[in-house]
Amino acid sequence: MKVKMKYIKHFLFTLAIGLILISCDEVINLDIDDSEEQVVIEGLITNSDLNFIKVSRSRAFYASGPAEGIEDATVVVTDQNGTEFVFSHNPDNVEGFEGVYLAPPGFTGVIDHTYSMSVIAEGVEYNAQEKLLPVTSIDSLTVEYADLDPGDEEFEDFGVEEGELFEVIFFAQEPQDRVDHYLFKFYRNDSLVKDFPEDIYFSEDEFLGEEIDDLPIASYYLENDTVRVEMYSITREAFVFYADLFNLINGDGGMFSPPPANPRNNLSNGALGYFQVSAIDTETIIVKDPGD
Amino acid sequence: MRKALILIMLLGLASMIYAQEKFTINGYVKDAQNGEELIGVTVLVQELRNGVISNPYGFYSITLEPGEYTISYSFIGYRTLTRKVVLDKDVVLNIELNEETTLLDEVVVTGESPEKNVVDIQMSVNEIDIRQVKKLPALFGEPDIIKTVQLLPGVISAGEGTSSFFVRGGSADQNLILIDEAPVYDPSHLFGLFSVFNSDIIKDSELYKGGIPSRFGGRLSSILDIRTRDGNNQEFEGDAGIGLLATGIALEGPLKKGSSSYIFSARRSYVDLFARAADNDNLVHFYDVNAKVNWRANNKNRFFLALYAGRDNFSFGDDFGFDWGNRTATFRWNHLFNDKLFSNTSLIASNFDYGLESRDPSQGFFWDSSIEEFSFKQDLNYFISPQFELDFGYHVTYRKFAPGNIRPTPESIFKGKDLAKEFALDHAIYVGAQHRISDKLTMTYGARLSIFQSIGEGKVFLYEDPQDNINPVRTDSLFFDSFESIKNYVNIEPRLAMRYILNPTSSVKLSYNRMVQNTHLISSGTVPVPFNTWAPSSYYLKPQKADQFAIGYFRNFDDNNYEFSVEAYYKTFNNVTDFADNAQIFFNEDIATEYRQGEAEAYGLEFLLKKNKGDLSGFVSYTWSKATRTVPGVNLSRTFDANHDRRHNFNAIATYDFNDKWTFGATFTYGTGKPTTIPSGSYQWGDGYIADIITDRNGYRLPAFHRLDLSATLRPRKNQGKKWETSWVFALYNAYSRKNPFALFTQVTQNRDGDIIGDGTQKEAKMIYLFPILPSITYNIKF
Repeated sequence: MKVKMKYIKHFLFTLAIGLILISCDEVINLDIDDSEEQVVIEGLITNSDLNFIKVSRSRAFYASGPAEGIEDATVVVTDQNGTEFVFSHNPDNVEGFEGVYLAPPGFTGVIDHTYSMSVIAEGVEYNAQEKLLPVTSIDSLTVEYADLDPGDEEFEDFGVEEGELFEVIFFAQEPQDRVDHYLFKFYRNDSLVKDFPEDIYFSEDEFLGEEIDDLPIASYYLENDTVRVEMYSITREAFVFYADLFNLINGDGGMFSPPPANPRNNLSNGALGYFQVSAIDTETIIVKDPGD
Repeated sequence: MRKALILIMLLGLASMIYAQEKFTINGYVKDAQNGEELIGVTVLVQELRNGVISNPYGFYSITLEPGEYTISYSFIGYRTLTRKVVLDKDVVLNIELNEETTLLDEVVVTGESPEKNVVDIQMSVNEIDIRQVKKLPALFGEPDIIKTVQLLPGVISAGEGTSSFFVRGGSADQNLILIDEAPVYDPSHLFGLFSVFNSDIIKDSELYKGGIPSRFGGRLSSILDIRTRDGNNQEFEGDAGIGLLATGIALEGPLKKGSSSYIFSARRSYVDLFARAADNDNLVHFYDVNAKVNWRANNKNRFFLALYAGRDNFSFGDDFGFDWGNRTATFRWNHLFNDKLFSNTSLIASNFDYGLESRDPSQGFFWDSSIEEFSFKQDLNYFISPQFELDFGYHVTYRKFAPGNIRPTPESIFKGKDLAKEFALDHAIYVGAQHRISDKLTMTYGARLSIFQSIGEGKVFLYEDPQDNINPVRTDSLFFDSFESIKNYVNIEPRLAMRYILNPTSSVKLSYNRMVQNTHLISSGTVPVPFNTWAPSSYYLKPQKADQFAIGYFRNFDDNNYEFSVEAYYKTFNNVTDFADNAQIFFNEDIATEYRQGEAEAYGLEFLLKKNKGDLSGFVSYTWSKATRTVPGVNLSRTFDANHDRRHNFNAIATYDFNDKWTFGATFTYGTGKPTTIPSGSYQWGDGYIADIITDRNGYRLPAFHRLDLSATLRPRKNQGKKWETSWVFALYNAYSRKNPFALFTQVTQNRDGDIIGDGTQKEAKMIYLFPILPSITYNIKF
């Protein structure tokens, strides 16, 4: 039960859910009265070239496969000066990007600017507005031997011996004079990594001191892995959305944890999802044995 | 109705005032063997076919016109004692009752006189016989009174392996759980696998579900009143038990024979000792200790001091640990002002706290939270005449709520933070009259005036929108000095009960009560967990109120061998405390923006058939009930089934004394599945997250819950000359290994190791179940 980068209130959450570890579970088939399909919006505007809005449909609980994208929506982002940017549907016709609308070339978000989104899908307009807040920069990343006990299953999972598995340590200075909310993403050789599929790495700064030192990021790494950390600024509303989403996908159905509920978001007309606007700071390190 | 009550009360008083000179018989009724005072003994004046019942301290008093009387003292499991009294002056008559039989070592003592079911005015109350609890099968062989409470009619268990229960549509925090009058805020060991009440020390316990007497207040739905034994004041006695999970010892004896005694009991789980020996650093343990001394200075003055402390400790190696526990202390002074006026003065302290510790060097912190209270209670029992008794008193409680402090460890990324403490003063003045209007009709009527003050030192934030829990905007703060009133809430709680005897074996009872609750549990799950905090009514949180009407028919059969009752109740709740969807209830300075208070409604029908006497005893209960909530801002303000709404509940418990060596026990429970919230669809979002769409809170039913438990107790024949007795308890929990639903959650389809199966887009629903068939053995020794 290693403590990884974790939002402080989730310590309690983990305990409550941990209780259920003593139990057994079994898959059951729910007799579900599926609700009508709803529009799902996943928007991301950043101060880099990562700018897209994905429009898709919700589906039945037991459905599988990729989400069904809505390809004929009208997607427009407007900056605070009233300049409109029309996003175009999958301009390069990349497979798997159905429903993804990309910003016109050259578009980047500007810190402290406010962006409005308008998506017209199937005759209904969905709006959202969000401010691009500055992000704290990552001071550095370092590599250490994995803090594990000999014989821990992680060695087996990675197929290596003790001394060949590493963790990446994160350092930053949290500005104490402003309110910040953060989202983190970690990549191994450009693939996103999480300790558990349901993990979301986010935090508010209410409980954070100035020195963010010696904080291990998710997962373990092998020598020569390229590890990238992305730190996103998010608004209070986005933090609330992520916290709600985390509770929804990690809850126990309302026994010890709160009853499941749809995450609160910034989208109008009952659309699901979120329109996120962030500044990103990125830091990369190639894993080398610290003993060498 | 209030006017009518006052009128009846005046009539009652008038009948006393104009009466001729009278004399009083009073005294204590106790067990002849160990000097333990007996609660609820029927003291009957045969000439008048009328009588009284000994009070919770074993005291009784009857005032009569001069004359010759035959008075009988009856208590089930004890031989009825009859005394002739010539009443020409006041008489003190302390009574010792002998157990009915000495052939069997243990007799089923229900603590009820044979006709009490029919005659007692109190309805909606269940006594829990601790001796029976000990014979029943128990999880891991640890007898637990709360597990029997959960089987009573009108009571619904929060789920297997929890110590929470729901009474007549109320939520788990609406039960006032008292040990020797001190409230226990969290009655759970090991997250509720066991309750904190050690069955070795319990003397008498009652669950009040309705018609709650005016001396009780503070919770909406029930009072579980547990009283511990005083200890044998005749001779030293010891008891030791070793079970699968815990081991316990109880010692008792006289300090001064006949006038003072002590009892001490302790229990500790020992799994961690093996774990430690096996070098496993995931350690779990709990303990609890009860200690009590009592001293009878003379017939007019008695003193008691009772202490309880219990704690649970969980430790996961170098990662984290947490612990919680209750401590209570009760000092009581029973004083007889005169033959008719009995006084109980109590000083009570109670504390509950939990701590959480992260030992990770970079994310280390201590987190703690507590609630503390001190009470003074003055209760008076005025035995005016066999027709009229008056209970009245004053209670005051000071509470301090510390919802949370965080202290970082030196190298931690976290910083310290304290949530503001809250303080409250709670006054109550009550009066309750028991009025025997005729041989057939008895009434109790009274009221409790509750004056609640949320007090400083404190700070109240004012919000632009007090319900905006996403981005609360504070517009101002109000500061209050120490003991300065922040908000006052004054409520009158009328209480009424009536009993009409139809014939010697049956009666009809009616009751109404209003209850007010000013202490709120901050929990949004179904089952409270030990790291929930409590909060007082305050600037934003209003007192919760409940009104309950109940009517019942009570009948005894077969020479009082069987007791039968059927009760119907209807209950409405105002300002019942709930939380917004997605509420952040932990460590939230703006928690006030998460409060949502609304209405609730509950009604039901309860049947109980009980057999007290003979080799075979036990009860069968069936409850039909419904409970809903309507809370603005929760479930889109639509009415939803309460978490504890279950239509049908059937329970049966039985113990059978086969011979003097073997006793068998069985419990069976069946309940409609509990409501839960399931998705009505799903959507993909972000980095592989698949979120459920939620439309209806509690719109789905889990499968029904049913379970059979069996036990056998073996008492090998006593070895002549040896001073000790031993017994073995063999138990089988969940005898047919039913997979009973505990909770339901959804996840991306995964295998046992938590690896995703397929492309990670398929979701599945999983039902959690706790205990398969579990055998256990407990060994007890009594010396």
